[in-house]
Amino acid sequence: MHMETEVLVIGGGLAGLVAGTRAAEAGHRVLLVQKGHGATAYSSGAFDVIGYLPDALEPVANPVEGLSVLAQVYPLHPYSIAGFPVDVESGGESAVVLALVSETVEWLKDRLDKTPAALSGGLDSNLVAMTVLGTTKPTCLLQKSMVSIPEMEGEEDGVLLFAGVRGYADFAPGAAAKVFLRDRMMNKKYPQKIAHCQVRVSPSGTDYNISGVEIARHLDHPGSIDSLAKELAVYIDQFGATDVALPPVLGIQNAISNKEALEERLGVRVFELLGLPPSVPGLRLQNSLEQMYLESGGALLRGHEVVSYTMEGDRLISVQTKGPSREIQISAQAFVLATGKFIGGGLSGDKDGVREIVFDLMSVTGEFVSAEEASPSRSTSKLAVSPLGQPVLSNGVSVDSFLRPVKRNGLEWTTNLFSAGSIIAGYNYATEKSGLGVAATTGYTAALRVTEYLKEVAQNE
Amino acid sequence: MTEDCYDVVVVGGGSTGTAVARDCAMRGLRTLLLERDDIASATVGTCAGMISSGLKYMDEPEIVDMCSQEVVHFNHIARHIIMKNPILTPMLEMSDLSTGGNFAEEYSKRAATRDVPPVLFLTPEDSRAIEPSLHPDIIASMYFEEFFIDPFRLCLLQALDTRVHGGEVRTYCEVLRIAKDPDSKCYSVDFYDRTTGEMGTVLTRTVVNAAGPWAPRVAKSAGATVEIRPNKGAHVIFDRRIVNVGVVTKAVDGRMIYLFPHENTTLLGTTALDSWEDPDTLVATQDEIEYLIKSIEFVVPRIREARIIRTMEGVRPLIPTWKIPEGEVSRGYEVIDHESEGKPGIYSFTGGKLVMARHMAEAVTDLVCKRLGVDEPCRTHEKPLPGNEEDVDIEELAREYGVSLHALERMRARRGTEVREILEMTREHPEWKTTICTCEPVIEAEIRYSIREEFPQTLNDLRRRVRLGTGTCQGTFCTYKAAAILAEELGLESDDYLVDILDFRAERWKGIRPVIRGEQLAQEELAQGMYACVGNLDQSDIEYEMKPWEEGM
Repeated sequence: MHMETEVLVIGGGLAGLVAGTRAAEAGHRVLLVQKGHGATAYSSGAFDVIGYLPDALEPVANPVEGLSVLAQVYPLHPYSIAGFPVDVESGGESAVVLALVSETVEWLKDRLDKTPAALSGGLDSNLVAMTVLGTTKPTCLLQKSMVSIPEMEGEEDGVLLFAGVRGYADFAPGAAAKVFLRDRMMNKKYPQKIAHCQVRVSPSGTDYNISGVEIARHLDHPGSIDSLAKELAVYIDQFGATDVALPPVLGIQNAISNKEALEERLGVRVFELLGLPPSVPGLRLQNSLEQMYLESGGALLRGHEVVSYTMEGDRLISVQTKGPSREIQISAQAFVLATGKFIGGGLSGDKDGVREIVFDLMSVTGEFVSAEEASPSRSTSKLAVSPLGQPVLSNGVSVDSFLRPVKRNGLEWTTNLFSAGSIIAGYNYATEKSGLGVAATTGYTAALRVTEYLKEVAQNE
Repeated sequence: MTEDCYDVVVVGGGSTGTAVARDCAMRGLRTLLLERDDIASATVGTCAGMISSGLKYMDEPEIVDMCSQEVVHFNHIARHIIMKNPILTPMLEMSDLSTGGNFAEEYSKRAATRDVPPVLFLTPEDSRAIEPSLHPDIIASMYFEEFFIDPFRLCLLQALDTRVHGGEVRTYCEVLRIAKDPDSKCYSVDFYDRTTGEMGTVLTRTVVNAAGPWAPRVAKSAGATVEIRPNKGAHVIFDRRIVNVGVVTKAVDGRMIYLFPHENTTLLGTTALDSWEDPDTLVATQDEIEYLIKSIEFVVPRIREARIIRTMEGVRPLIPTWKIPEGEVSRGYEVIDHESEGKPGIYSFTGGKLVMARHMAEAVTDLVCKRLGVDEPCRTHEKPLPGNEEDVDIEELAREYGVSLHALERMRARRGTEVREILEMTREHPEWKTTICTCEPVIEAEIRYSIREEFPQTLNDLRRRVRLGTGTCQGTFCTYKAAAILAEELGLESDDYLVDILDFRAERWKGIRPVIRGEQLAQEELAQGMYACVGNLDQSDIEYEMKPWEEGM
């Protein structure tokens, strides 16, 4: 079978869906090939832009400052690269990068605004989000069913109630409460009155092995929030709670309206914590992005992966995809590679090195040294969890200023392949807290570069 | 310091130390076991669990006899934690065949004692019918059977049985000095309690040094001398039972190595290298990993397609024999009586194997009893360990409690009859039927039971007791869940809860890191995403103590 499109996006996580949507909005015919769910669907509900500079021990004051420093000090960071094809006078890098990220974030907020993954926040300040562990992290935007901790800090008499669900092991309210209380005491911030409880939500009638997705689907049904409200009311009364922290299970579709309904019924602030995978907020985001992309007019080929490709001169002209029941050859004029890292399946590693799996592009480490002939264990830290992170997670492809993957000589591998998201080397999203921000910005930028490229081709013809 | 004197202080909570403590307690001695870490936290915790009939030491027939007899004893006292593995030794060349003959004869002589068939020689077709992953060009294979015990549970059950018989077991207590007490005929043993940060002293009439690789250090703290030939061994661990049966073959250098299905995983081992590194800092090296994979690849050609989850590395305290290869060092054991050094009543071990642990204990306890004038016979081979009282019908229990048969079978393999007590807890708390570690799997009730009955202090201790986090995801998903349960049961503060999470990640990473590749890269991206990116624990200000293997660059 053969298909033809103008732009082919390989990879259906946030980077690919943003690139595809933006390209479709620019008037291109877009087809996106998606193998399955990648890291986006595992994400927590926080939309990070930049929380910490590489190797830093203190968070950035705000994303604006973080991006400014990155643009000046780390010219090979994907944010910097994305902003640099414009002729920039020395000293003007920060403004360019800031403008680009800002444009991306505003655009994405707008596109997601009516979806279950609607976001609040902005680049001017980082929010402080609380996790199911009771820890906090800086992040730029949050899904609207969540809340930034400083919003609670005003009232000294506030009582925060952590409410878990019996038989749902992904959130232990007692442990989280203790961790958060310690954080409040150390930072001399409120609330310092903290309680915890476990309520009963039993979608299938049992009290054990309950998953977050199961609870969320249950709470999506009209009326099912009532019994949760009743359960919570007892404890809110008992502790005099003013705020209630719940695990991120308030619905896949209706989390925001459920939050509002609970707040109205109970007269307290209700919010979701950031969750760990399997993640309901991640699912909300993935679904909403796919919806956004389809509404922009893009076509989606699910369950397919690219297995081979054809070149003509210095241009990529088609790829062969393989799905459950057939293979399809897809021709396109421009391509976007957004296959992710190891979770997404863009990179794979064996004892001899790390390779890019679709085109066998040159893979590099975060230091931009070839990663093709070095055992992945050599790019790791002895420390399991530390600000050093695991350097192997900075591996990826090296790109030129148009986000085109490059060869050993530094020149683009082909003129019409652009890249986006965590397949790009040179940053560690886990330690920087920059994952979705880089994915969105490079996805958005890749689409802009595609448009420029196609315009150029049209002019030349 | 005028408190009563112990009859015996056992130093070391491995297979030998716990066996000695159990034997001493069963013979009515006032017994204290001191372990500087946790039960089974060093050498025995890195072994394959084979209670071997003596494949490797056919040149020492008296040792083979002893091992055979010990297997019979283990099957009597601990059959609930024992599994039998059929093993194939495939042969690719005629020279492989010639070495098998002697072994087959010696093995078969003692087969009936252990209730296994004599060695069989199989055609290539029959071999590959049993184990399809074998190389198509094999010319024959040798079939025999060996028993495997859960080494963690064995040590723990011996420790728990010590308590049942009135003995005391203290983990996280490191012995610093053993000296003649001026006021009595006893020794005073000074130790540092790592949990409380306090020093302690006890008096004892005798001391048994069963500290394995640390035996020289413990002896030195008593002013005595022990020499061992420290020899390290690595294992590579696969995510599932990638072979139906064990495979034993010659490595690149002609040594024998093996691939054993083990619990839910498969173990590839082992190397044997003289090593003078601090055992606490050792991790598997690239040389060891590739040596093992390259060697097994001769007979299991598709081994590189299998998912490797981690490595482990341990140190054997061999009898100090020099100027011969490791393989020629006796696999027997020696009891050193330090009386000749003016330290009567202090005994140390060198050498030995897991299968000999009970025998070693009997030998030293005989000496201790003689010295103390106690005339009690050894009964460690007669009296079953806890959980081995009778059979458990898990199918019926699965129906009754609504817990998956798989989870129950795994629990039964650890606990025997205790399964019933654990499930009983879920009557009041049905939510404790929730699976916490999905790889193994382990349900919450067993974790709570273990915390209440089996004195774990950390998640690592829980891992040794219930196999938490030992599967494919290496604790990615269960670490934070189990940490919360541990914190609640032990009443831990928030710092300890987070430190526990970090400590467990550190210990898992120690084994994952040397061999990270394939799917484990995605697994680690996920783990970093959870604990660093979302949890922000990479930026946590809690006091994390560096581990010995993390120091230096």
